[in-house]
Amino acid sequence: MAKKEYDTFILIELSQVPEDKEMEIIVRDLTPEDRRYKYRSFYATAMISKSESKYPDRLWVRLGRGQLQEKPWSVKILKEVNKFSY
Amino acid sequence: MPYTVFKDNREFIKALEANDDLVTIQQEVDWDLEMGAIVRRVCEKKSASPYFKKIKDYPGFEAFGAPLATYKRLAIAMGMKPDASVPEISNEYVKRTTGDPVKSILMDKKKAPCKENIWTGKEADLFKLPGPMVHDGDGGRYLATWHFVVSKDLDTEFVNWGMYRQMVFDEKTMVGPVLPFSDMGKMFYGKYVPKNKPMPFATVIGCDPLSGVAACAPSPIPEDEFTGMLMGAPVELVKCETNDLYVPAHAEIIIEGEVLPDIKIDEAPFGEYTGYRTSPREPRTVYRVNAITFRNNPIVTVSNMGVPTDEGQLLRSFSLGLEMRKLLESQGIPITGVFMLPESTHHLVVVGVRPAYSGIASQIANLVFGSKLSPWFTMVVVVDNETDIYNKDEVIHALCTKCHPIRGIRKYEQAPGTPLYPFADPEERKWSRGSQVLFDCTFPLDWPKASIPIKVSFNNVYPKEIQDMVLKNWKSYGFKD
Ligand SMILES: Cc1cc2nc3c(=O)[nH]c(=O)nc-3n(C[C@H](O)[C@H](O)[C@H](O)COP(=O)(O)O)c2cc1C
Repeated sequence: MAKKEYDTFILIELSQVPEDKEMEIIVRDLTPEDRRYKYRSFYATAMISKSESKYPDRLWVRLGRGQLQEKPWSVKILKEVNKFSY
Repeated sequence: MPYTVFKDNREFIKALEANDDLVTIQQEVDWDLEMGAIVRRVCEKKSASPYFKKIKDYPGFEAFGAPLATYKRLAIAMGMKPDASVPEISNEYVKRTTGDPVKSILMDKKKAPCKENIWTGKEADLFKLPGPMVHDGDGGRYLATWHFVVSKDLDTEFVNWGMYRQMVFDEKTMVGPVLPFSDMGKMFYGKYVPKNKPMPFATVIGCDPLSGVAACAPSPIPEDEFTGMLMGAPVELVKCETNDLYVPAHAEIIIEGEVLPDIKIDEAPFGEYTGYRTSPREPRTVYRVNAITFRNNPIVTVSNMGVPTDEGQLLRSFSLGLEMRKLLESQGIPITGVFMLPESTHHLVVVGVRPAYSGIASQIANLVFGSKLSPWFTMVVVVDNETDIYNKDEVIHALCTKCHPIRGIRKYEQAPGTPLYPFADPEERKWSRGSQVLFDCTFPLDWPKASIPIKVSFNNVYPKEIQDMVLKNWKSYGFKD
């Protein structure tokens, strides 16, 4: 199965981003089955790596004003976190 | 008296077509950037409005781009002749909106076009609507770019329509900035949040053109009644399905739900009206959706904020300038007009005045900077009544020759601002802190008459008989213009 692709906005210095640690991030789904859901955002508990091959899915990185970084990272989504009570 | 105006966007689209100001695109376009890129180019080239008949992944939906990005379209929307000049449109707008507000009327739900389709529960899913990815790099798909949000005060009958952008987060959630000094900001953060109460809202997408104009106008008159004044006839409203708010019956799409008081989520970046992506991605106001109602084959409106000129710049400049005009006239200041330049992204306003007494430019600046309008603009240029405020060449000439580089400029610090100012530093943006400046382009009254420079122009330094003779002989001299 082709890798899934997500992206995320990193609002701190890229060098400060912790790798290989469970953390909560917002990601956007770039490859949903139904294309109408492209860019759906969700909070996720995930582990990320700056290596493209370490985790199963690809993670594209954007900076605070939308600047896309050339090289993707990789991500393992552990679970989607629901922030709403209904 | 009703004017020739349009009860919905469908009639307006037909009028644009009749005036050769519409391009109907039958070819399928992608909601993911292609549609946005087309609308952006339309704004930059001042081309006709695009009417998209086929959107990828969304059969049955249509879209209408750059609905009011030119004065020509504004004139058509007001029922005026398409080539009406800016002063003509301005005077008509001031005439219609001065006087008695026109109360809205209610329409039977069964007859309301916006109720032709009703989705509730799981079916009310935002991804079933063709929200465009407007610019590459935006924080999400912005379904609401030319629209308005209806809300009601917690303790009074006051209802607000305001244009506050909304990004789709997930199936049921939208998010956007609601600035604290906006009417909805004061309502929500001042009343609902302290009581931890969700605030009902209704987002209206694809409203008639004048409701859109009213929703982004900074008038103190309730926007539905203001629309009625612009139309010369009451707006027809219908009650929402899941709350007690009322929305325009002829609108294309209504999204109903609640603004949550206890959570904020990340929104932005987004291409903004200043022509930059400036305001930070940060936690902003959250809208949860309960229902979506819409007309058959609904037409989504798409505005594309960026470098001038889009409808945000054009209409906000137009209505901010004219509200300033009403304010200054109400104070008896002998102004000759107010014009805010759309190309300034509504940051610069030109005020023409008869310099009847010393300090008049400061008085003007104090009034407009001290008003509710002030967070949205930064520069006031006061010119005398010899300068045509609508003529950019004349304004630049006055600015560069009559404004003393030190004594003619007055700075106003510690003003309210917005997070959207590209020139502001990150801390200023975070706290919406602004600063403002007056350029006084009037010659001081205390100068001896003989020392006052004389403007050297054809109209000013030749006797009338010479001017008449030259004008009469112009063609015979050999000039073709
Ligand atoms: C296209 C467009 C988008 C806007 N987006 C926002 C927004 O996201 N948040 C905001 O506070 N104001 C926004 N504004 C400005 C408000 O619409 C404007 O201040 C309006 O007058 C609101 O009315 P109010 O006087 O009821 O607050 C936007 C204006 C336009 C034209």
